[in-house]
Amino acid sequence: MIEVKNLVRTFKSGDRTIKPVNDVSFELEQGTLASIVGKSGSGKSTLLSLLGALDKPTSGDVLVNGVSLAGMPDSKLTEYRRRDIGFVFQQFNLIPNLSAVDNVMLPMEFAGIRKAVRLGRARELLEQVQLDPDKHVRRINRLSGGEQQRVAIARALANSPQLILADEPTGNLDEQTGEHIIELLSSLSRDHNTTILVVTHDRSLANKTDRRFRLQQGRLTEEGARNRAAAGSPA
Amino acid sequence: MSVLARSVGNAFRNKVRTAAVVAVLAVAIGLALAMLVANQAVAGKVAELNASVGTVLTVNPAGGQGFEGGGEPLTAEQATTAASVPNVSTVVGTKALRLRNADAAAAQTGGPGGLGGQGGPGGQAATTLTTSLTAAVDAGTLGARNQASTGTSGTSGTAPAFSVPITATGIGAEVDTTGKALELTEGTGLGDYTAASTGALLGTTLAEKNGLAVGSTFTINDQSFTVAGLFDAGTAFGNNALYLTLPAAQTLAELPGELSTMIATVNSMENVEAAKTALQEALGSDAADVSQGQRNLESAVSSLGSVKNISFIAFVAALATAGLIILLIMVMLVRERRREIGVLKAIGARNRTIGLQFVLEALVLVALGSAVGAAVASFASGGIASALISSNTATATTVAGQRGIPGGTPGGFPGAPAGGFPGAPGEGPLGGASQLLTSVTASASPGVIAAGIAAVFGVAIIGALVPALLTARIRPIEVLRGE
Ligand SMILES: Nc1ncnc2c1ncn2[C@@H]1O[C@H](COP(=O)(O)OP(=O)(O)O)[C@@H](O)[C@H]1O
Ligand SMILES: [Mg+2]
Repeated sequence: MIEVKNLVRTFKSGDRTIKPVNDVSFELEQGTLASIVGKSGSGKSTLLSLLGALDKPTSGDVLVNGVSLAGMPDSKLTEYRRRDIGFVFQQFNLIPNLSAVDNVMLPMEFAGIRKAVRLGRARELLEQVQLDPDKHVRRINRLSGGEQQRVAIARALANSPQLILADEPTGNLDEQTGEHIIELLSSLSRDHNTTILVVTHDRSLANKTDRRFRLQQGRLTEEGARNRAAAGSPA
Repeated sequence: MSVLARSVGNAFRNKVRTAAVVAVLAVAIGLALAMLVANQAVAGKVAELNASVGTVLTVNPAGGQGFEGGGEPLTAEQATTAASVPNVSTVVGTKALRLRNADAAAAQTGGPGGLGGQGGPGGQAATTLTTSLTAAVDAGTLGARNQASTGTSGTSGTAPAFSVPITATGIGAEVDTTGKALELTEGTGLGDYTAASTGALLGTTLAEKNGLAVGSTFTINDQSFTVAGLFDAGTAFGNNALYLTLPAAQTLAELPGELSTMIATVNSMENVEAAKTALQEALGSDAADVSQGQRNLESAVSSLGSVKNISFIAFVAALATAGLIILLIMVMLVRERRREIGVLKAIGARNRTIGLQFVLEALVLVALGSAVGAAVASFASGGIASALISSNTATATTVAGQRGIPGGTPGGFPGAPAGGFPGAPGEGPLGGASQLLTSVTASASPGVIAAGIAAVFGVAIIGALVPALLTARIRPIEVLRGE
């Protein structure tokens, strides 16, 4: 359960202040697949970075299962990112000189999981995201964009986080590959009971999610909700 | 995949750049190691020279040395006075005795000329005693000549077979007559050297000649002594000698409180000159002669000292350069991988994990640089050291030549029957010193190389720590840069 309360993030650029996140509040039940749409520069990435503790809000708070991120020391925020959050980026952001399996093992290494266990789980996750087994040990920079994004999703799942934050995960992919990725995220949120918040400009992708938000000049509004499963959000 | 494996992988990410960095590091590290090797070689030589110059001052009665010359004997009170001179750390008194084999002495007494006196002209004949021991040295030409010049008063005719005397020295500490610690090869010392005892230390050849071992007994003036230990002085002359405790020797000579020489040890090399003057003043020039060992090495020591300093400065400079190279390379790498560091933080890496990864990567580069640098140093250090030394020796020789510093053979042991006149200095500018300078061999010993590499790693860790700490300041939001 994620609760966002009156979240504000302002930036000063010169003598002008901009508010890409302006008093945003919402709640997400565990296991929800939600989307945020909005024009470029509307503050989507900024909002996601606040939810994932990559950045700190100017004001407001994020509560994860009732625990407030505001005022958490940096070491606790690192632990929060490692344990509770999985990121999927538009640019994939994998470590280019490591293999697919090594990339997926990385968050587990940071969590102190034994090597044998890491390896088994990484291979399992790469199978779940349907990466060919012969590509598991291939270096990242020798994989296609779609394959890289599958590896990135496997990495996001590595430590079984509660919340996956995906920032335009299909932005660098062709339409068909993008659709596969969204289907993958959708099935994962069901199978793992993971909350997934995905940012996209693609309407048709957004329409496949349980809850749809729109961000306009830092303000968040929810569009007509649709229940995907019995578990979901209030109508 | 561990932090270390990742660091090694990262070190080879850009192979061309890695090769360039390693090459530059190897030059700096190689130079540092070569300088350290040169420095150590020279330092070793300086220590050796200092040890040979020594910190020992010998005090003889004014006008006398050993069994030669004349003057008034030294006394225990003078030893106390000497010990209170500033910078003099210890004073050891000795009492020298001449021993003659009882049978040989008896045979000679009947002969023409008799045993007119073993002492030198105006010397100290009273201290010649008889013993059951036979000298380990044959008289030979030199012995016979010494006997003729110092012994009988101009008697011609048939001199009987002459036997070389044995030197017995009463010592106040376990040192030889030059102040050097005795090297015992067997047995023990005499315990308290300031108390009379019937123990004796024999030179190895003297003991062998007389078939004595530790525990055997022999006599001096019909008094029985027990062999407590054997020593090796390293010379045939030195080994034809024995040592007693100082009071035992004084009792045998029936001259309690009288000393033949005093050996004063000065606390450091720098103070030797001042202590010598002070000692001479304290004892009075009419009562005592204070002399020092070899002095011709001082200029060699000081010119080598400057080589030592130059090489040390160069070592530190090269080391600092290596550290700086690492610092700059790592700062560059951190800047280049800002976004990647952001990724690592976004997926939950701790600051220290990332910092460690960068330090290890730096150490991989340093390890490669050290391997190549050590190879370079082992070839170059000999040449570098000799170049440094030859340029400095040229100056030293000129200076020494102008000063006319006497060199050559050190004086023999005072009163040595086979050693010529005591302290007779060889002539010639600088003498052996220039040979000592060129004999510095700078071989790259594994120990020195290892110490040098340890220093390189120490500096590299410091050089890498700064950029590693910079990674801690990179915020995880960097991962979104450029999106
Ligand atoms: N670190 C920053 N400093 C200043 N302005 C920023 C910073 N990060 C984002 N912005 C601004 O905030 C606005 C929202 O950015 P972003 O959240 O990336 O939008 P979106 O992801 O919706 O395209 C943009 O105008 C952007 O220029
Ligand atoms: Mg964005």
